[in-house]
Amino acid sequence: MHEKSKTEALWRFGGYGFLIAAALFMIVPIYWIVIASTLPQSAILSSSGALPQLLPGGHFVENFQALQSRQYVNFMSSVWNSIFIAIVYTVLALILCSMAGFAFAKYEFRFKKSIFAGILATLIIPVNLLVIPLFLVMSTANMTNTYAAVILPWAAYPVGIFFMRQSMQAIPDALLESARMDGASEFQLFYRVAIPSMRSSMAALAVILFLFQWNMFLWPLVVLDTDKFTIPVAITKIMGQQVVAFDQLMVASAVAILPMFVVFLALQKYFVRGILSGAVKE
Amino acid sequence: MTQIDIEGLVKTYEASEDHDVEGNEIVAVDHVDLQIRDEEFLVLVGPSGCGKTTLLRCIAGLESITDGDLRFNGDQVNHLRASERDVAMVFQNYALYPHMTVRENLGFGLKLSTKLPSDDIDRQVVSIAELMGIEDLLPKKPGELSGGQQQRVALGRAIVREPEVFLMDEPLSNLDAKLRSEMRTEIQELQNELGVTTVYVTHDQTEAMAMGDRIAVVNDGRLQQVGVPEELYRNPTNEFVADFIGSPSINLISMDIEGNRLVSEFGFEYEFSDYQVDDVATVRLGIRPEDLEIDSGGTDIEISVVEKMGNENFIYGKLGDKEIVARTDASIRPETGDRVGISFRDEAAYLFDAQSGTALKTKTDTLNAPQTQL
Repeated sequence: MHEKSKTEALWRFGGYGFLIAAALFMIVPIYWIVIASTLPQSAILSSSGALPQLLPGGHFVENFQALQSRQYVNFMSSVWNSIFIAIVYTVLALILCSMAGFAFAKYEFRFKKSIFAGILATLIIPVNLLVIPLFLVMSTANMTNTYAAVILPWAAYPVGIFFMRQSMQAIPDALLESARMDGASEFQLFYRVAIPSMRSSMAALAVILFLFQWNMFLWPLVVLDTDKFTIPVAITKIMGQQVVAFDQLMVASAVAILPMFVVFLALQKYFVRGILSGAVKE
Repeated sequence: MTQIDIEGLVKTYEASEDHDVEGNEIVAVDHVDLQIRDEEFLVLVGPSGCGKTTLLRCIAGLESITDGDLRFNGDQVNHLRASERDVAMVFQNYALYPHMTVRENLGFGLKLSTKLPSDDIDRQVVSIAELMGIEDLLPKKPGELSGGQQQRVALGRAIVREPEVFLMDEPLSNLDAKLRSEMRTEIQELQNELGVTTVYVTHDQTEAMAMGDRIAVVNDGRLQQVGVPEELYRNPTNEFVADFIGSPSINLISMDIEGNRLVSEFGFEYEFSDYQVDDVATVRLGIRPEDLEIDSGGTDIEISVVEKMGNENFIYGKLGDKEIVARTDASIRPETGDRVGISFRDEAAYLFDAQSGTALKTKTDTLNAPQTQL
């Protein structure tokens, strides 16, 4: 009995030790970005051989002003571009993915399985491969350097459709039938019965979609001009050919991370619930 | 005021669940003819997968009808959507909207299907809640309610729309035994009070016998018999109905016919004194447990189990290799392993054609079975 509890304690100790180590491993780079954004360039680069400086300095405002006054890149406007694009994209993709997910989960139609497999199969195609044909499409439609050009191509996002289909399958058929008998139209079934009972899944998907769009780099780089750059693209423009202004780069990176934290923390409760939903048969 | 006429109703499904592949057909409902009278409480009963729920769903409009006619008051409704048929359904798992309060659940149908102002809807919701004794629950969500309370809300939601027809799909099967029998009475009282034509599906023959004005027994998608409970019990049209109705089930023994004598494989013999057995090779002899009498002059059986119910005893024993059960007075209590004699009277015996299952003889004892018009 005593031996057993000893082994148990040891396992728990080891387990927590591992989790703490893993958490540190994740946090350190982010922590370093935040700290470095408050240090002058010299302090960031001076620590060769020794430990990097781990406490914040007082240079954040100077770094930020330097970043703002850069030529060729208007950083603050790229922040607004990113926020605008990510929000519009998230809302649009949520609507499209949940509609498609609802159809795949709750309706029977011909070639349903094949169409669904086709949608999933598009995940195999790397974005890099799509860039040129997509650019040609946008160019023909006179849509290059527009927000729509960044938002539309992935608005019906296969991962989102898959995610919503899996979630919507948990809605009991009887619930929809009951609403049908109550006189609901098929669209009313969707937005008055299905959507309200899918809140946590949709919040989880919102986080996924927001981060997906927020982090997108190659396509915005190709299709947008300087005035519409998103943050990831703008950040690359801070890195010059000869000199990298690490102080400014770190401020930009810290600002780029912030909205992700906000979105995740705001929806964290739902995110965890949504990811777990359907894991256990109730 | 609605009479439902079902004529030659057929419902088939494709066997393959994969809708991309053409598969064989499964016949779920097979040429059912049934008339459900105005204000009647009709119970559809049968074993799991017999097609009773599919038939109910066809009436509801939740399943399309493959062939045949469905009429409400003479008007064909085959092609009407569920919401256009003016029927309300209570589902097995209640199907309450989880994100709405009880008040919103009750009012949802009225809100969608009528143009009533919200004050009127609310008034109706409150009056139904009072009728069902759930007015305290109005601000709560379904997740906060017990099974019995959810059941009441589900019934209330069906009633509030004042439909022409109630359809109930095993609404009591998720409740515990005590609550189930309470709700059983309550549903009957409600139906009597409201006088709405009701079709009630259950696999529980006791529930069917207790609740139905008439009972329709379904098996393998086919209607076996329709009648008042007593008629099904005393005059079943075939072996399936005889076996399905009654608890414990009827004792059935395969017998060969030799003249007017019945002879079983294991040597049990019976001769009718004043009944001429039809000219078939083999029959199945059926005796209800309560018709078996403990009689020292009767056929010898060895008792294997005695179930003491308090008011009566169920005595199980072996007749040859066949287990039979007798339902006796509580004062008769043999022990396991005892040997007793059993007998029955001619009038109590049922005979079924061993091939087709058709009834050749049913109970003819003193109680006159009521005749039901079909």
